[in-house]
Amino acid sequence: MSVLSSARRRLRLLTFIGASVFLASQALFVQAALPDDAPVIVSESGSTRALVAMNTRARTGPSFRVVPVGGRVTFYVTNLDLLKGEGASAFRADVQDVNSNRYPLEVLSLQATAERPWVYALTVQLHGAIGDVGDALVRVTWRGMSSNRVRISIGHEGGKIQDDPDSTPTPMPTAPPTHSQAELVGLPWTGDRVRFMMQAGFGVNPVLEARLRRISYSTWIEEQAEEKRDVNGDIRYSTFAYPPFKPTRTLPPGECNGTTGMNDPADPDPLCFRNLYSMFPVQNWFYREALYGEDQQLRRRVSWALSQIFVVGGRETEQSGRMIEYIKILDGHAFGNFRFLLRDVTLSPAMGNYLDMARSTRQNPNENYAREILQLFSVGVDLLNQDGTPQLTPEGNRIPSYSQSTVDNFTKVFTGWTFCSGPECTNRAEGVLNYIDPMAVSPANHDNTEKVLFNGEIVPAGQTPDQDLRQALDNIFHHPNVGPFVSKLLIQQLVTSNPTPAYVGRVAAKFNNNGAGIRGDLKAVVRAILLDPEARGNVKTDPDYGHLREPVLFATNILKPYNPTAQAAAPASCGGLSDGILNIATLPLDQDVYYPPSVFNYYPMDYIIPGTNLAGPEFGIFSTGTALKRPNFVNQMAPPNSAAGVGGIPINITAPIGTNINYAPCGTRIDLSRLQNLVSADPNGSTLIDTLDRELLHGSMSPAMRNDISVAVQTVSAANPLKRARTAFYLVATSPQFQVQR
Amino acid sequence: MIMKNDRREFIKSSCKALSMVAAATQLRHFGAVSVLAQKAAEVTPEVEYKALVCIFLSGGNDSNNIVVPNYDEGYNQYAAARAPQGLAIPRANLLPITPPSMGGQVYGLHPALPDLRNLFNQGKLAVTCNVGPLVRPITRAEYQAGAPRPYQLFSHSDQVEQFRTAISTFKSPTGWGGRLADRTVTLNQGAAISMITSIAGANVFNIGLNSQPLIVTAAPTPLNQVLTLTGFGTTGDEQARRTALDAIRTRDLDKTMVQAASVLTQQAVNVSQQLSQNPVLTVTFPNTTLGNQLAQVAKLMKFRTQLNMSRQIFFVQLGGFDTHTSQLAGQTNLWTQVNNALKAFYDETVAQGIASQVTTFTMSDFNRTFNPSGSGSGVGTDHAWGGHHFVMGGAVVGGDFYGRPTSNGTFFPTLVTSGPDDADTRGRFIPSTAVEQYAGTLSKWFGLPDTDVPIAFPNAANFPAMDLGFMMPA
Repeated sequence: MSVLSSARRRLRLLTFIGASVFLASQALFVQAALPDDAPVIVSESGSTRALVAMNTRARTGPSFRVVPVGGRVTFYVTNLDLLKGEGASAFRADVQDVNSNRYPLEVLSLQATAERPWVYALTVQLHGAIGDVGDALVRVTWRGMSSNRVRISIGHEGGKIQDDPDSTPTPMPTAPPTHSQAELVGLPWTGDRVRFMMQAGFGVNPVLEARLRRISYSTWIEEQAEEKRDVNGDIRYSTFAYPPFKPTRTLPPGECNGTTGMNDPADPDPLCFRNLYSMFPVQNWFYREALYGEDQQLRRRVSWALSQIFVVGGRETEQSGRMIEYIKILDGHAFGNFRFLLRDVTLSPAMGNYLDMARSTRQNPNENYAREILQLFSVGVDLLNQDGTPQLTPEGNRIPSYSQSTVDNFTKVFTGWTFCSGPECTNRAEGVLNYIDPMAVSPANHDNTEKVLFNGEIVPAGQTPDQDLRQALDNIFHHPNVGPFVSKLLIQQLVTSNPTPAYVGRVAAKFNNNGAGIRGDLKAVVRAILLDPEARGNVKTDPDYGHLREPVLFATNILKPYNPTAQAAAPASCGGLSDGILNIATLPLDQDVYYPPSVFNYYPMDYIIPGTNLAGPEFGIFSTGTALKRPNFVNQMAPPNSAAGVGGIPINITAPIGTNINYAPCGTRIDLSRLQNLVSADPNGSTLIDTLDRELLHGSMSPAMRNDISVAVQTVSAANPLKRARTAFYLVATSPQFQVQR
Repeated sequence: MIMKNDRREFIKSSCKALSMVAAATQLRHFGAVSVLAQKAAEVTPEVEYKALVCIFLSGGNDSNNIVVPNYDEGYNQYAAARAPQGLAIPRANLLPITPPSMGGQVYGLHPALPDLRNLFNQGKLAVTCNVGPLVRPITRAEYQAGAPRPYQLFSHSDQVEQFRTAISTFKSPTGWGGRLADRTVTLNQGAAISMITSIAGANVFNIGLNSQPLIVTAAPTPLNQVLTLTGFGTTGDEQARRTALDAIRTRDLDKTMVQAASVLTQQAVNVSQQLSQNPVLTVTFPNTTLGNQLAQVAKLMKFRTQLNMSRQIFFVQLGGFDTHTSQLAGQTNLWTQVNNALKAFYDETVAQGIASQVTTFTMSDFNRTFNPSGSGSGVGTDHAWGGHHFVMGGAVVGGDFYGRPTSNGTFFPTLVTSGPDDADTRGRFIPSTAVEQYAGTLSKWFGLPDTDVPIAFPNAANFPAMDLGFMMPA
């Protein structure tokens, strides 16, 4: 408490000092270069030097401005519109020295000033490693928006650092900031709607963009979450039919008559095994859902995100039919309650097989599932604050959430369950592992001794296996880590790799209580993630915002706006739609759909981008080895250097045995004629580039990049509009700027 | 969190890494590579070629079944713990070896390792015993009393990182391969590509403060096709598109992730120009996951003179070692693959005349519980701690075991559950040899100066013997 009160005293002091140098108020502040929703750091009057306050005796003269190395300094920030409870944890700050080294600053506090409640004192701690660098540029970021950058002096005043080109003085405002309401609605927010479709689905659908404008995000989310019924009146979570469950292949005379599995020449149809018993059908189904499943876009996206948290991989599951039973669980609970998701995942035969719970018995316990449900699916390894930051000891160390003993105890809870094979199992079939019904328990194989769970909760000896399971899953579900842990993972999947603690905290609060007193409501969590101010906005200017598009999103995001269809020569049975055989394009990018290398997914969620302090999970599979395969995919879909009509994934029904990964009955192509038509009326290509900027970069293209593309487009003969369109499309889709969803 | 006074430079450089080192600078470095290469080639004195090849056995290899006591008392202890559930390898099937440092006792290698046994007997292969992450040496009593231990023991992802970073006290953003490259970069002047190459994707082992790996795909992709940009013609508008493609990569670098993507792409473009040939190997490599990765390593080595490489670090990986179940068959398949691939690779280095300049070594998440889980054909093992590792090459003082003494005074733990070397009750053997010592010995041979040891291995002061002696003097 004493620390807190002394901090408050210091803040009052700072506020006082700050106020004393405000002097006479300046005219209305103007910062033309900044977006309307960006924070503004107040500068000294008539200068781009920060107005600062320090806990120092010097009140005048140059030394007053100089922040000591490793010291603290307070800035004044305005143009904020804070939510209830939004404070220091919603802000980040950094400083860049004359050598272009950018250092994060620790934000200590944010407090409205007494004199002008619309101006906030933001106090930061400088790391000693920054050194005596002299003048440097400081910035704050808030909700994905960067402020103006203003000069401060560290160690000494002076140096050669240049202001940002569009920098102007931002003196202390005399009145609260006002926003034109006209800017908040309608067409000017196209950028945000495009970003939303990339975050909530698999890319831009021009029809949906117009519709979102009318019905709002909120209504669309409700629509997507609504239960849909198929022709039989059953609930469906998929636009296209799920691939069928095929029981384990029997030896001849079975459906595929060969005996050696994949590509057996003895089969009348050599693709029989691949088409029925491999992961191939579920991968194609996934891409068709992503490209065309408009009434399930959000569910599909959330389910895909969940599949990368609650990982079950095709390496062990092997067959589409088994995997789809697991995906149905993720689909069904995407907007349901986390507690039931946890139950159904735990009892899923696919998971039971994948993490060995199906083989864990009292006599021979296997701790694999117990460890991973705690580490990866619910609690995580470190105790967390409710904003997702790790709790620390006074020495600054993280605190483990559990020990080997905890794992041992949960291991006992999960013993005795296995594939359902008794008469009570609706979908049992002789000689076939039951991958449909939830696992069942053999009480004799269950360890019914006492167990100690989180928070010292005791599972008394002698309970039934089911009672043990319910109690243990309740115990996990109510661990305070679950809200922030799961919320942050979903934010990272959908929106940004490095959410502020404030953002994580707002979403975790929804997880903890959806507003109606219910914990674990995933629909409320998804809504909170997508509608949060840190997710929304036309353009995000925080340099650290966003996430790398994983290969699946890279591929679908560039196809969706351009009417992906079957190849023109496809048979009528294709119905004009792609067969979804796109995994052959993302596999070389190290993302084999539903076939990750391990339970740790395609990439680690805490992967640090080399040379930075930022998490960039998807960078775990973006490397020199995969980087050039992205432009090569773009080239394949719409090769600028080829004749009209060429491009896409070709129809390939005669692939030789052993190489039939290219088998594609319908093929996939995109149609750039809409872009091509823009070219004829537009000799310098600017409408073409504008359209691509809007549809792929939601209007964030920089003038420099735009100019590079413009020069290349105009080099192409205007008599060849297709090549112009494809050249511009290639350059946008291959750009590092597009690889990062911001 | 590694704050100790004699590690100032490490801390300083760590802080710098944490400060998003200037983007543009990095990009310029990559862009200048080929020019530098030409210049340096003229002035650099001859430095003998050396390479380290890390083979990561992903999932946690059960080394309890790879190196087994084959003398009466030792085998009986082993069989007592593993035979009842059917996990013990019959004594007659073990491939006997007699490491001099083990007091004349006979040990046995897993039956799938005939070629590795031959290399052991030829003095080209050594075993380092009971290696694992440690904060400092620790006894069973100290462990059970709560003494400092690596974070999140027995978790895959954390233990993998601790082996790859050789830091067990906090999640390090750099790996020991990367830091070794940082500190030996002066030995590699004029190199046309990154000192570190991973054939198994990006991971922290390969990342230093200033070092980033080149990532390439495995054979059978020809070396000159691992990184190519397709679809460009030669007409003026095609050249303009290529110019724009390259120019766009230099824009918007103030956005951190855009810059990171640009740097990696630029690096790939540069290297694609360097890897213009596909060398032919003398030895036929097995067409397996590991065989194809090592074939690509061997091709890059064969290309070393043209690429002007004096030092190289390679990372390859084989998965499937997380044998919670069905271990006997699974491990036999995996180690057959390892045996055959390592044999081919060693023979190829002999053919290239660099057998004594290439050192290959294994790492893995952890060893597995001595006490099995399950029984019968489904028998497996759970996550544990200290395990045994192989080091192979002409510069290895092979044919022997190395490490630091366990509670019984030898390099091998006492194979008894709840015994003096067990962390708990299931035979999770407490490592006697730290990852730092294992990696430090390899690093010293590679050329890491003694003065840089505390920088490359910030926790080295806790482990007096940073050279375990399994490498010939550099």
